[in-house]
Amino acid sequence: MASFTVVKTEDLAAEQGKGPACVLRGQTSDLGCLTRQDGSVSLSQGDTTSIAVVYGPAEVRINKEQIDQATVEVVYRPKVGLPRPEHRKQERVIRNTFEAAIAASLHPRSAISIIIQETEDMGSNFSCCINSSCLALLDAAVSMNFMVAAVTVALKECGEMVLDPTKRDETEAKSVLSYVFDSVNLQVLTVVSCGKFSRAEYRNGLVLAREAAKSVFQFYRESMSKKLLMSQ
Amino acid sequence: MAEQFKMAQPKEYFKKFLENDIRPDDRELGEFRPTILNIGCVSTAEGSALVKLGNTTIMCGIKAEVATPDADRPKEGFVVPNVELSPLCSPSFRPGPPGEQAQVLSQNMADLLRTSECINLEDLNICPGKLSWVLHIDLVCLDYDGNVMDACTLALVSALKNTSLPSVTVDEETGDIKTDPTTLRPLSVSCCPVSTSFIVFDHNILLVDPTHEEEKLATGAITIIAEGGNLVSIYKPGGTPLTDEQMEDCIDRALKRSKEASQLIGETLCSIDR
Amino acid sequence: MAAPIGNVVIPGDTFSLLQLQPNDEHKKILLGPGLKEEEAEIKVLRPGILRFRKPGVYWVDCHHKRYIPAKGDSVIGIVNQKVGDIFRVDIGSSEQASLSYLSFEGSTKRNRPDVKVGDIVYAKLLVANKDMEPEIVCIDGYGRSNGMGVIRNGGFLFHTSLNLARKLLNPECTLLKSLGNRFQFEISVGVNGRVWIKAANDVQTIALVNSVIASEYKDNDQIKEMCKRISKAVSRMEVD
Repeated sequence: MASFTVVKTEDLAAEQGKGPACVLRGQTSDLGCLTRQDGSVSLSQGDTTSIAVVYGPAEVRINKEQIDQATVEVVYRPKVGLPRPEHRKQERVIRNTFEAAIAASLHPRSAISIIIQETEDMGSNFSCCINSSCLALLDAAVSMNFMVAAVTVALKECGEMVLDPTKRDETEAKSVLSYVFDSVNLQVLTVVSCGKFSRAEYRNGLVLAREAAKSVFQFYRESMSKKLLMSQ
Repeated sequence: MAEQFKMAQPKEYFKKFLENDIRPDDRELGEFRPTILNIGCVSTAEGSALVKLGNTTIMCGIKAEVATPDADRPKEGFVVPNVELSPLCSPSFRPGPPGEQAQVLSQNMADLLRTSECINLEDLNICPGKLSWVLHIDLVCLDYDGNVMDACTLALVSALKNTSLPSVTVDEETGDIKTDPTTLRPLSVSCCPVSTSFIVFDHNILLVDPTHEEEKLATGAITIIAEGGNLVSIYKPGGTPLTDEQMEDCIDRALKRSKEASQLIGETLCSIDR
Repeated sequence: MAAPIGNVVIPGDTFSLLQLQPNDEHKKILLGPGLKEEEAEIKVLRPGILRFRKPGVYWVDCHHKRYIPAKGDSVIGIVNQKVGDIFRVDIGSSEQASLSYLSFEGSTKRNRPDVKVGDIVYAKLLVANKDMEPEIVCIDGYGRSNGMGVIRNGGFLFHTSLNLARKLLNPECTLLKSLGNRFQFEISVGVNGRVWIKAANDVQTIALVNSVIASEYKDNDQIKEMCKRISKAVSRMEVD
């Protein structure tokens, strides 16, 4: 099976005269990187990489069966060690996010499983997980009401904001906010934060992240176009 | 008749009420249930609190224990929050190891303590590299009627403010540890984070402090933790996308609630001191 | 702006009825898989290429690996279990399909068909509904087998993407024709992405399977070229 690699170089900084803080790190996706799954993708955002795999609509465990909609399951595997409570929380946030995005009522009594393997966390890991899951769902052609894009913003002590922070930015920052937007109205679907922040900082982060989310959606479109037009 | 209508079409039933800007339990959309706080109710614990938010009841007990600190952080103690949702509080929970919801709540409590920095972990140190306090914070849900997150946060903060630790002396020669229960030192809690939860009903109506019935019908949820004028956490796990205005409204309400709740904690603490 | 027919669409994209039919607004249109009507707009649910067929059929051609049952599809299934009067057949969907023992050619209550667990059947979907268990039959409306039934006597079954299965069945695809000119073989293709091939010997079977899998991203000219190479390679191996 062929896989499709899409590379996006972020030269926007030079073009638009923005500082490097306002631009996402380069994204690379490898759709269909695994063969036996219904959908799979390996996504890197800068040096942060994760592999997401989707099965579905597949057979559902009897105790999880819902008669009016598909059950969404998320499994998150950290790079080292066994999943801890913090990963359970992350799984739940990711699951709730995709429950809203997936058109679950089209496949009642079935399961859509998303399995995410963290391969390298160099900052903004949560965004990378959400974005790779969304691409994997697109690769599996699961029906969705809208797509989602996650963007992480770090707030530094000095008041400076860093979009798509690296691991170092994250540890230096006083707080880290992750926003997830839907692709139709660019409204806020999910917010997760870590560290104190003020109301104004939340708002500024939102504006910055929303702008960046547009380029993530553009990246999804490019990736899918490349894959679909190749198989014609 | 109303009972049957509620059973058959719970969503329609709620809609009928919400059309008139009122909820079935006679509350307005932005109104909390009556909050009852009882601090220091468990005499065997170092700190304790009982919170009732409508029917939801959470008991929080803090037990202190002496342990060796982490080699990486020799000057710090530990706080270990744990939320228990047993079959005692609702038939939807099964006996056995904690379910996903309990694990996520425990993690939320741990995140809250870490990000709000309301306890300085170095205050829990007794002897650098050798002895530290471990605070086991047990939150037990006694009655589950929705919005456990807010009740847990309130119980946690109140119990922490009520906690006093005995002084400890270490015998240099024998290495024996002696605690002196007569000289108690209250734990310093620097701030008072308050959580406010909302649910989204039918994709557009925001309801504060949801009951269990309301939670079941929710299409989304959001929890905001505020402290003073600052925000400690915004936690919106998926669900219906909200507009910026709706988010701002939530933040407004959360800031207001934070003032009310910290005042309540303050008043209750004063009343037990007397 | 006209509707982007032949272009890539992704979930969340919308277009109005007017965009689909700028000239004739009152013509009836039919929305196929991947499209949904919502508040006078047409919404895309799946990523794929928007297709149109006269008079007014629109659908999204997407790249699936998981089969979702649709009425009338011809599929290849594996008999998994025998429960009373019905067989449970795995057709690759989220639920196993049921197959009654009476839905074989010439079968009656007395004269039961010879079907065992593990057999491969080529069948048509009679019931395919998101809320119901899919049901397959091995007879057409006149009670004849019409090529359907248990596939016997060896051969090799393998999985492909659903796209490839549809491509093989497309009359414009030259693969089966080109291979047929050079080899003698039997093939049945289920739209659930399962393909069964039987050739004269193992070497040929393997070569055919590989050429089918390799044809997924090739156009007709490349396929012809590949068939030529494969037949050469196979004849060389058979001489050895």
